[in-house]
Amino acid sequence: MLRWKAVRHLLHWEYEMEYRRSNGWFLPVLFTAIVGFLCSLVVRDPSPTTWLALLWITIVFSALQSAARAFAATDAEWLYMNQLVRPGELLLGKALTNTMNTLVVTWTGLLLFHLWLGWPAQGPAEGSTIALNTGFIISISLGAVAIASTLSFTAALASKIQRGTSLMAILSLPLLLPTLLVAMRASKLALLGEPWILLYPNWIGEIVLCALPISLGALLFPYLWRA
Amino acid sequence: MKNLWKILGAALVGYTLIAGLLFDVPRLVILNETIRNLYFHVPMWFTMIALLAGSLVYSFRLLRSGDQGRLLDLNRDRQAKAFAEVAMIFSLLGLFTGMIWAKATWGAYWTADPKLNGTAVTLLIYAAYFILRGSIDDAEKRARLAAVYNVFAFVLMIVFIGILPRMTDSLHPGNGGNPAFGNYDLDNRMRMVFYPAALGWILIGWWIAQLRVRLENLSAQ
Repeated sequence: MLRWKAVRHLLHWEYEMEYRRSNGWFLPVLFTAIVGFLCSLVVRDPSPTTWLALLWITIVFSALQSAARAFAATDAEWLYMNQLVRPGELLLGKALTNTMNTLVVTWTGLLLFHLWLGWPAQGPAEGSTIALNTGFIISISLGAVAIASTLSFTAALASKIQRGTSLMAILSLPLLLPTLLVAMRASKLALLGEPWILLYPNWIGEIVLCALPISLGALLFPYLWRA
Repeated sequence: MKNLWKILGAALVGYTLIAGLLFDVPRLVILNETIRNLYFHVPMWFTMIALLAGSLVYSFRLLRSGDQGRLLDLNRDRQAKAFAEVAMIFSLLGLFTGMIWAKATWGAYWTADPKLNGTAVTLLIYAAYFILRGSIDDAEKRARLAAVYNVFAFVLMIVFIGILPRMTDSLHPGNGGNPAFGNYDLDNRMRMVFYPAALGWILIGWWIAQLRVRLENLSAQ
């Protein structure tokens, strides 16, 4: 049984620790900013496809940075957490924190891309323009949540290995490819202003790719944590 | 006669080698004689999936063997590893036979096709599985973490290679309106070779994997 009170306590504690560490939050956001700025330097007037590809690559690597820290804790902190919550609650709490962090990183990335790169130069048809729309925000956010749900589990796995952070990218990136392809297609259709009827199937795909890693993670996490 | 299935596997593969190269096949434009690749390319994937499913089952049984405070059954770990290794060999064989066929019909060894991407992802995922195994020294811990990753990765891989290619257009036979098991290119003569080939290669693959398990068990002693 999951105790919501324990999950809430864990979340509260997580954010308080983040706040006290003070450089915690800053690290993934700064990473996003640096990669985004690099993109703005190397590409001028990108096409919609290039723009989106750069945005998603920035998001994925920032999310990796952010998730790699999700299960990083000192021995004393682990002792505290393990006494306080059960494995399932721990995974849920960490996954929620990680999802929120990934969303922050994603929206920061989007904002910075808008600031430094602007919107893609030109729409698909002659003279059409590209602007921010609700469908695009939903596509990007769902994609970020799906990425975070896979990364939460691989981060838990990597935290059990010494020097696991370098392994994390190798373990996660192949698993993220389905998510990325669906998210990219959804956000591209949305960016080009296609009607929502074309977006729904991709959103359902994104939601399935959120739910699948979470349910698999819930099934496997107790085995992982026993080690 | 517990080894009957090994004899059956060898006989079936032997039969399909001869029948696949010599029997009559439908004459189709562009495909021509490359249609025979069906007998050699597609069974590689069936075998890979069968062996990976075997590896998954062993991983799951390894995790279950640790229930109620019992020690992990490390035999299951060796089985899971050996089956994944042999599956990767079949995956490479499937890739190479496919690439030769693609050069003859599509004009290029590699295209950014969903089916081909799926194969590349499968290879990457299991390469990561072997790297994960290699980076943990403690046998018990390695068995547990590798099994967890194996189960997690297998399900996402099936989603990737099984579902996503059907959502998009593909040049690959069997996708996007291209015929594969259609009634005019897989006629009854071809079925008489194709089904035995698939079964035969799965049995041979299973046999190779079991031999690897025995080798691993001996070197572990």
